Amino acid sequence: MNEKVLAVRDVTKVFDEGRQRVHVLKGITMDVAEGEVVALEGPSGSGKTTLLSIMGCILTPSSGELEVAGRRVGAADAGALRDVRRRSIGFVFQQYNLFPALTALENVEYSLNVRGTRGRAAHDEAKRVLERVGLAERAGFLPRDLSGGQKQRVAIARALAGSPPVLLADEPTANLDTAVGGQILDLFQELAKSEGRGVLVVTHDPKVRRIADRVVGIRDGRLVADGAEQDAA
Amino acid sequence: MVSLARKNLLHDRLRFVITVAGVAFAVTLVLVQVGLFMGLLDKSTVTIRHASADLWITSHNTPNVDFARTFPETAVLRARSVPGVERADNLIVSFMNIQLPNGALEGALVYALQDFGAWRLPWNVPEGAPADLRRGYSVLMDRSAALRYGAFTVGEQREILGRRFRIVGTTQEAASFTTTPIVFMDYRNAQELQETLRGNTTYVLVKLAPGADVGAVQAELRRRLPYNDVLTRDQWAMQSRNYWVRSTGLGMSMGVTVFLGVLVGIVIVAQTLYTSAVEHIKEFGTVKAIGGSNLDIYRILGEQALVAAVLGFALGAVFSYLARPLMAAIHLNVLLTPGFSAVVFAGTVLMCLGSALFSFRRVAGIDPALVFRT
Repeated sequence: MNEKVLAVRDVTKVFDEGRQRVHVLKGITMDVAEGEVVALEGPSGSGKTTLLSIMGCILTPSSGELEVAGRRVGAADAGALRDVRRRSIGFVFQQYNLFPALTALENVEYSLNVRGTRGRAAHDEAKRVLERVGLAERAGFLPRDLSGGQKQRVAIARALAGSPPVLLADEPTANLDTAVGGQILDLFQELAKSEGRGVLVVTHDPKVRRIADRVVGIRDGRLVADGAEQDAA
Repeated sequence: MVSLARKNLLHDRLRFVITVAGVAFAVTLVLVQVGLFMGLLDKSTVTIRHASADLWITSHNTPNVDFARTFPETAVLRARSVPGVERADNLIVSFMNIQLPNGALEGALVYALQDFGAWRLPWNVPEGAPADLRRGYSVLMDRSAALRYGAFTVGEQREILGRRFRIVGTTQEAASFTTTPIVFMDYRNAQELQETLRGNTTYVLVKLAPGADVGAVQAELRRRLPYNDVLTRDQWAMQSRNYWVRSTGLGMSMGVTVFLGVLVGIVIVAQTLYTSAVEHIKEFGTVKAIGGSNLDIYRILGEQALVAAVLGFALGAVFSYLARPLMAAIHLNVLLTPGFSAVVFAGTVLMCLGSALFSFRRVAGIDPALVFRT
């Protein structure tokens, strides 16, 4: 069995909203293994983005444990969480979140700079991952001159830069048409299988099931299904 | 390394231009206004700096070199008797009326010595020679006088306090703080013109013998001339400058101008950087999400402020240096020294970095989780 690259154990998250305490996550336990694609499905307000934020070390859980790439980070401080994000996690966002003033290549290179890789090494690595997602010929284009699918490929290249073992994708096909969305999903699957990355895709899109090894459902802060894709389908 | 700071600046070109223009305006305002002020102050001590006197003997509490007061000219004899004094001479500085060809009266600041050459006054004589002043009623008139007296040429005559004087030459740069032109004439002629000057002088210029101790000579002169002040060249120049700065409100006025210039710069830079920071909030959230810290974002804002400071200063300095010949055409000296320019540059950098602090506060609280919000 493949090693787990991402795991949460009995995680809860409570937000204080005025006098009310809102229990967004109620004891979530799940994991993602290397080379595995996991789809996390749920309606709006079910807690999937909060779970993604905790797994991405952006939020800390109210209780429970988090392990990323073999490192326990449940009670870590902000600096340690940042370090885990920098070394071990690549993010792909629904709105791409590219820097509009930077070219495709610079977007990837800047991400590497933030992660501590500078100069020629960053430049070469950025070119390599852009080639990996099939966008080498668009390296010098600004995001405004790229199609939605191309922007998402740049975002994936940025997430891949520095070779983090975990990729977290938030609704990566929501703004793409069916054909382009399908290509992006194929790319995720390929990255998981050929490079051994653990991929967690938060989605409303049922087409993600096609590439998922497992589909996990979440309703009202609790997991409602966690099984093989073919079982869940 | 990719500079998100510079790329964002160039991406928002209009805002960038407004920011740099704002800084350039503030820099120009400060450089030209203070440069003009320093140019005026420079005039207030121009004769002190050019005269070769090591010590100046004045009447008690004379505020500055232009506003001279009389005392008996025999004081010069006591000065000459002090060991360490190589030479001492009387100098008269006095405002006198000069009658123009159209009948109007204008003021002139008369400098009168027996031997101008011995004291290197006047120092810039394009036409004629100081020695010519010994020949009858003659004067050297500064070229800046053309602005106030109308055009004149060597050989013409002008009436000073009712006595006709021939213009035997011209000088340059000899104008007082108040822009009153300086007229050089023989010491006895000046005494003849004004009743109050007869038997009196306004200053005694003292040159020290080689190797003499200036402090010791100054102390001995003070002892022997208890009703006079004895000042070194630097002390006298500083006292003359301080009079104009402190006693006339000019210093305060200049301070307000500098304050307003800096305020304009801060408001423009802070406002544009803050707006830019707010507009790029999601980008900064992304920087944090991918592992960047607040420090990374502060660096971006700081670099933008620094670029605005450097370009704004360069532009402002170019404008100010270009303004110098225009001001010189109307006999206004914008004095811009490398030291003063360096101080303004440092101030500009501080001003811009200080302005960026407003944005620091805004971005410090960015929640990286906002990257998941649509």
